[in-house]
Amino acid sequence: MNDAPLNGNSNGKGKAGFGPDYTLCECELEPLRQLVTKLEESYPVSVVRSPSVCLAMIPAEDSLEGQKFYLGEALTTECEVKVDGKPGFGLCLGDEPVRAYCIAVVDALLHADGSAPADIESFLRQQEKAVARRDQDEFDLILQSQVDFKLMEEE
Amino acid sequence: MGYVAVKGGQDAIECANKLVDYFRWKGRTKPIELDQARTQMRLAVDRAMGEGSLYAPAHAALALIQVEGDSFEAAFHLRAYRATLERRYYAEVLNTREMFVHRRISSTFREIPGGQILGPTRDYSFRLLNPALVNATLGSIEKFIGNLRDEIDSAKIHEMTSYKKVIDIFLKEGLMSRQARPGEDRRVFDVTKEAIKFPVPRSAALQMLARAETGALMCMAYSTMRGFGMSHQTVGELRVGDVPVRIVDRRGRTRYVGKIKVSEAEMVGGGGSGRGARPAAEGGRQSRNSAAPRFSIGYGLCFGQNETKAICMGMVESALRTPNPDNPANNQEFVLYHTEVIEAYGFTNHLKLPHYVTFQAGMESYRRAMRAAEEAKTEEVAVSAGAEEDDND
Repeated sequence: MNDAPLNGNSNGKGKAGFGPDYTLCECELEPLRQLVTKLEESYPVSVVRSPSVCLAMIPAEDSLEGQKFYLGEALTTECEVKVDGKPGFGLCLGDEPVRAYCIAVVDALLHADGSAPADIESFLRQQEKAVARRDQDEFDLILQSQVDFKLMEEE
Repeated sequence: MGYVAVKGGQDAIECANKLVDYFRWKGRTKPIELDQARTQMRLAVDRAMGEGSLYAPAHAALALIQVEGDSFEAAFHLRAYRATLERRYYAEVLNTREMFVHRRISSTFREIPGGQILGPTRDYSFRLLNPALVNATLGSIEKFIGNLRDEIDSAKIHEMTSYKKVIDIFLKEGLMSRQARPGEDRRVFDVTKEAIKFPVPRSAALQMLARAETGALMCMAYSTMRGFGMSHQTVGELRVGDVPVRIVDRRGRTRYVGKIKVSEAEMVGGGGSGRGARPAAEGGRQSRNSAAPRFSIGYGLCFGQNETKAICMGMVESALRTPNPDNPANNQEFVLYHTEVIEAYGFTNHLKLPHYVTFQAGMESYRRAMRAAEEAKTEEVAVSAGAEEDDND
């Protein structure tokens, strides 16, 4: 049994299913801040709830029997805005007031009726690639430490 | 005797606080930057977050700088900070199968789905001090990273992926079951909201172990291997990596909010026969319909890269599911109370606070007992002197 790899890798779904939030949470802060500064020139933004830190309890479960339990809490920042009257909500881990605000502004414009501003679309496309590249680069390094077992008699 | 409140020493306390900073700064070395501590004292930060039960790397780094590296104090500061914040959200249940794996190994099987990936570990290095490290510069760091990239063997790389688990091998062979143990309390308990009463549900034990003090937990786990238990579990799978966190926002939408690094251990209990095999009641389980034993796992999961803790948590949680008064690690109350870092550290350190009245009361008892002993001795001497006189008569 040891000699037979049961199967290869499961197909990692990459970042599908996370939506734009993955990019907004993982991208560098500065370009995101610049995007939102630019958006503020074209759209009226009012802050409904200023960025504030709070806790999010993180439940987990044991991998065999599925027993749920509380692993611990994570520091989280939340922010709520209205952009052109449309609600936007920003949430991210850590004490990240600027990011939470930026996510809220982008969120409002992404989910407003009609299509999202072209600036946001191109930002997301560009940053999604950058984040994916960064993740893949690190993964490439990690994969170098994959063990290639050789039986002693083969040597 | 009741407690008597005393006042005083305020000036001395203020000065003592300043002296902490004086002893920190008197060498006039450059202050440690927060980012330096967060990234270069990575494992200390991870440990503090785990024991502080708060995932907040920058705050854990600040705590460590502030308390000059004391892991107990760092955990204490994080727990205190946590207590000032409102819990506004419950995230969705973590799915560790989605992990961006940095490291995953198994000591039960050589070939595992996706292969063994050592990742960042010191497990195979000599424990030799490296004086070259003190000469590192930003330039040498850049060069090191550049070289590492140049050395990438393209034959070894593939698209990012998550990995199937080693327990899948056991499940496929019918050697493990997802069925919960009959009669076990499956309630999801929150020890931060409810007072615990023993025996606690498994969920409460897992929560407490996840935030337990690493050294104390290792002590318990080690005891089970050394003879105060019958355990010698094997690492079915050990993983370290980033897991996505999702929260349902105020508008009811599930949002990705970031990722947290965790260590996860699935410790495989005995089965089969021979030395190391354990009876069904000890972790290997009898299936209901047949006499065939099944493997079970002890589950360890904690914040950050803290493999020792995850492994020990797995071993200890497994021991706790089979109570045995003869072994400390099989005793819920013993393990969960004594591995709780803030309680243990706080109680130990409260011994340094004034106990003058209590101690005086004890002293008085000693003095009375000594006086009584002296008097008895004098009487005894007098009696024996009297007896001697009688003899001489």
